[in-house]
Amino acid sequence: MLSGRVSRLVLALITVGAVLLTVLLLHHAPVLAQSPEQNQLTVYSPQTSYSVPVLEVNGQPYAGLVELLEPLGSVDARPDGKKYKLRFTPPGGHPQEAQFTDGKDKAKVRGENYKLPANFVLQSGRGYVPLSATSNLLATFLGTPAEFHPAGRRLFIGTTPERFTLELRQGNPSRLLVEFPSAVNPSIATEPGRVRLTFRREPVASSGEDNVKYNDSLITGAVFSEHDGIAELDITGTAPLMANFADGGKTIIVTGAPPPPPPVAQQAPEPAPETPSNAAASPQQPQKPAAPRFLVLIDPAHGGSDIGAAITPDLPEKDVVLTLARRLQRELANRGIAASLLRTSDVAISLDQRAISANAARPALYVALHAANTGKGVHVFTALLPAANTSTQSFLPWDTAQAAFLDLSGSVAGSVAAELEARKLPNATLFAPLRPMNNIAAPAVAVEIAPPAEKVDEIAAAAYQEQVAQSIAAGIAAIRAKLPEVRP
Amino acid sequence: MTRRIVVMFAALVLIALGLAFYAWQLKRKVARDEQLATQQQLAMAPPANGPPTPVTLYVASDSDATLRRSQMNVVLPAERTERARAVLRALFGAYLQSPSPHPIGAGADVRDVYLLGDDTAVVDTNSAFANTHPSGVLAEELTVASIVATLNANDGKIQRVKILVNGQERETLAGHADLQRFYLASNIGQVVKDLQ
Repeated sequence: MLSGRVSRLVLALITVGAVLLTVLLLHHAPVLAQSPEQNQLTVYSPQTSYSVPVLEVNGQPYAGLVELLEPLGSVDARPDGKKYKLRFTPPGGHPQEAQFTDGKDKAKVRGENYKLPANFVLQSGRGYVPLSATSNLLATFLGTPAEFHPAGRRLFIGTTPERFTLELRQGNPSRLLVEFPSAVNPSIATEPGRVRLTFRREPVASSGEDNVKYNDSLITGAVFSEHDGIAELDITGTAPLMANFADGGKTIIVTGAPPPPPPVAQQAPEPAPETPSNAAASPQQPQKPAAPRFLVLIDPAHGGSDIGAAITPDLPEKDVVLTLARRLQRELANRGIAASLLRTSDVAISLDQRAISANAARPALYVALHAANTGKGVHVFTALLPAANTSTQSFLPWDTAQAAFLDLSGSVAGSVAAELEARKLPNATLFAPLRPMNNIAAPAVAVEIAPPAEKVDEIAAAAYQEQVAQSIAAGIAAIRAKLPEVRP
Repeated sequence: MTRRIVVMFAALVLIALGLAFYAWQLKRKVARDEQLATQQQLAMAPPANGPPTPVTLYVASDSDATLRRSQMNVVLPAERTERARAVLRALFGAYLQSPSPHPIGAGADVRDVYLLGDDTAVVDTNSAFANTHPSGVLAEELTVASIVATLNANDGKIQRVKILVNGQERETLAGHADLQRFYLASNIGQVVKDLQ
């Protein structure tokens, strides 16, 4: 009897101990990384749209402050003990300061007391705010209204969400017209009796009625939903459906798909295709080839668990280069050059995947950005490969795809170095055995920034990075005429 | 009953402390073993007799991003692969001293050098070399270029060099320099020229 009671007591004590240990572990390691694809906040502003990873902290969604603000202006943030000091300067605006404290919900923003809906979290030198505070905080920093859709994790800053209208035109066959205020480019997935439009970059929002039912023999309904930073419009029907673009992309027409041609041979069933934008358009209307365009693809190196070089214990290379990439994108935009980033948030991308994505984007120029704490100034690299006379129009060997573009890559490196020199920034132009440059089928350079002087953390200083970004952008602008535009 | 609970709780606390002490001891033992392994590896240098011979090293310098040719006297074994290994160990020795012109991680070493045919050398480095190497495009390039140029300078037949880590192929040295390729001495010669 006594032995049974003692056993129960010991069991109870062990259970309590385990619970206490779990609580302690959770308290000391509150930030649990989530898969970025599944858990992200999408921010739409008049200048850009971007995604920010959402982290679960003690069961609440949080977003990184720097990740939120960097695409919208210049950010200088640094932890100071339990405090987190941040200075944000919007383009053409005045610097605004804020101070947060780890584990506290009270903060100071622009000199005013500010209360967060939950405690601020400081983890590994990064500051996180509750997701529900993001709209108010950004509105305060930017002085423009912001609208947050918590269920969809979508945040609209200074821009009205674009509301679409639905119009069913009954006939044979019936057509559903989905009209938008501006051109859209959703992913389109089809499966029997269903077309799903997925909007990742467009600020598309509900028109008021999210679940519409139609009394029609072909199209039976449309459901709009938002989740994990994306918006989806699901159109259902009684027969296979297809989507066509019209009015320069402002209208998507959903109607019945033509019957499949009679089978000529036995074919394996194909999975439901998910195609980007126009590829899903009707096969009846041959697509007009897109016009060539000049796109610079910026690849901020590393990301996620691959931090790159530790510039300081609190300043990983992956963060320095993402900031620099955004500055470079802005500088290029100021010069009328379109640029996109290979990663816009803290996600890991393998070297092969970077090359695949870069080649698929068909850029006129690929620029990889790196940072290091050794040496001084800026190094501009081109691939270390023997030059080849291979035609750029033919298939290229994966390991040496860059060889065919080495001359152009060298010209870009020279132009960027000249601009760095003009701004009196120490620089050198070198060859480097750097992946994935060898696999890039376009002119390609890599730029590695090192601190401007002895003080290593100066590498993240806004003024220094602006100078470097301006030099790279000016160098690209100067050589632009020599680089061929590419058909997407 | 209350006394029993206190006794049980005290016993649990003692067990927890005991386990923590055991874990700490285990951690120390692992660290000691690793250190010993590194020392043993370093102590297994091939026996070499005879007078020191002048060898050419291409020594990197981080402060001015250069690769400079220098000479050092090294006792060289007779066998070709062992000679290459001894030369590279002399190069690593220059980087491992304090202060170092181009620091590499403590314990970095060359496990072996193999020759494929007459012109291709495969350099097998230890894990410490790659795991603790400073990360950066230039820093890693300087290391790779100095290895290839040094091998070629002391054995002109070596025209291609591949670097392994602990007997395995690795994607990059420390996040940047490609370790999946064979480096051509002629290609590296251009880099050396640029870094003079």
